[in-house]
Amino acid sequence: MSVTYRPVGWTRSKIVYDAVLLAGVALYLIGFMRFAPRTRLPGTLLDDQSLAIRAYGTCAFLLLTLVLMIGPLARLDARFLPLLYNRRHFGVITCIVAASHLIAVFDWYYAYSPLSPWVALFATDAAYGDLRGFPFIPLGLAAFLILLVLAATSHDFWLNFLTPPVWKSLHMSIYAAYALAVGHVAFGALQDARNAGLPALVVGGSGMLLGLHLAAAWRERRRDRPAPASAAEPDWIVAGTVGDVPAGRGLIVPLADGSSVAIFREDGALSAISNLCAHQNGPLGEGRLRDGCVVCPWHGYEYRLRDGCAPAPFTERVATYAIRLDGRTILLDPRPNPLGTATQPLAIPRETR
Amino acid sequence: MTGAAITVMLGQAWLVAGLGVGVAFLLFGLDRVDASARGAYGFRPLLLPGLVLLWPLVIWRWLEATPADTQPSLKRRHKRAHAAIWSGLALGLTLILGTGLMLRQHDVPASSSVRIGPAPSDADE
Repeated sequence: MSVTYRPVGWTRSKIVYDAVLLAGVALYLIGFMRFAPRTRLPGTLLDDQSLAIRAYGTCAFLLLTLVLMIGPLARLDARFLPLLYNRRHFGVITCIVAASHLIAVFDWYYAYSPLSPWVALFATDAAYGDLRGFPFIPLGLAAFLILLVLAATSHDFWLNFLTPPVWKSLHMSIYAAYALAVGHVAFGALQDARNAGLPALVVGGSGMLLGLHLAAAWRERRRDRPAPASAAEPDWIVAGTVGDVPAGRGLIVPLADGSSVAIFREDGALSAISNLCAHQNGPLGEGRLRDGCVVCPWHGYEYRLRDGCAPAPFTERVATYAIRLDGRTILLDPRPNPLGTATQPLAIPRETR
Repeated sequence: MTGAAITVMLGQAWLVAGLGVGVAFLLFGLDRVDASARGAYGFRPLLLPGLVLLWPLVIWRWLEATPADTQPSLKRRHKRAHAAIWSGLALGLTLILGTGLMLRQHDVPASSSVRIGPAPSDADE
């Protein structure tokens, strides 16, 4: 980052996003408390505390499933990108709901223990050798700890402090949290679920999530096949043709070393910059053009096409690349220019436009 | 002392150490490692939970005493890791859920309510 940190960089869209999310959470909790008892037989009615534990627990699981769907949905269909922009607040709210579940459990099951509630929590349920009655509480606690670490490191400071690769690796532990949460539910609440609601939520949610992530990974794998080298000049690669550059967006060119370049067309000229945003490696090639800058679709970071630098007062930079035309074919030098190198946009001859 | 008590004690020690490191970092380290933090105070309390939880990582980065690398990562290793992780999760989640569903006690009937009261006497008939 290059400007002074603020607690939260509020924008109108973030306020709307958070308001809708919080309203959804409130509606779910109220609805669950009101309608869940009607689905149970009179002899199996739950007390209010147990009902609240289940309301918070299912809400946290649902939120975790939904927040994990946003990434692959945005990869598969650009219309879901707005959901991605404020995903960190979604994660923090998920953590708060999960914390409410934990507090409700403490208040009900451990409030009257002669031991410290934490010792009691770890002391109960220690039959790890038996699948029937497998201790599900530690699984949920481990999932919650991961959510807590991720929520606590969601401010941009952490991204800068830990460096993007370390921060991203840390935040990929959310997948482990999901597996632990599924285990927590599968060996816990699912065992005495009296209706089809919880099995449907867990099996359906996990299944949809798996399908979306695998579909997104498959699509990325196909798209990331490296561009071929030019026959005439092996040091350059064939990036595509002028017609391949979509209007208003970038042509993404995968390179053999795993990186990728985005080629944009603006005012009848072509420019090439790294496809990876300096913030969180978002795909710049899927971003919009605005006033000579590419706007990252993930968090709105901007870079000038001519030199890859963010406009003042920001200081982020991405690499530019040399390109040239062979007829209508775009040739790209896969070696990045040093950061901050200005390049002249490559004018497209009128006859090849 | 039980395993549970030792676990809790270790957790408390971790948090106490983290609190010390976190407060010291906010007072003496933050301005040195990140220029964007200079003159910004409102966001600092938000950092404390992360500093407490991840204090070994904080010490490591603090001792490096260099600003975060501004050269962006050119390779998307995480994309490859993502594909591998979700292939593994396809198997893992199926196993977890399959086991959980198999273990369910399907045949336990939900009890219906029964009115409890004195047995009907002959006089009532």
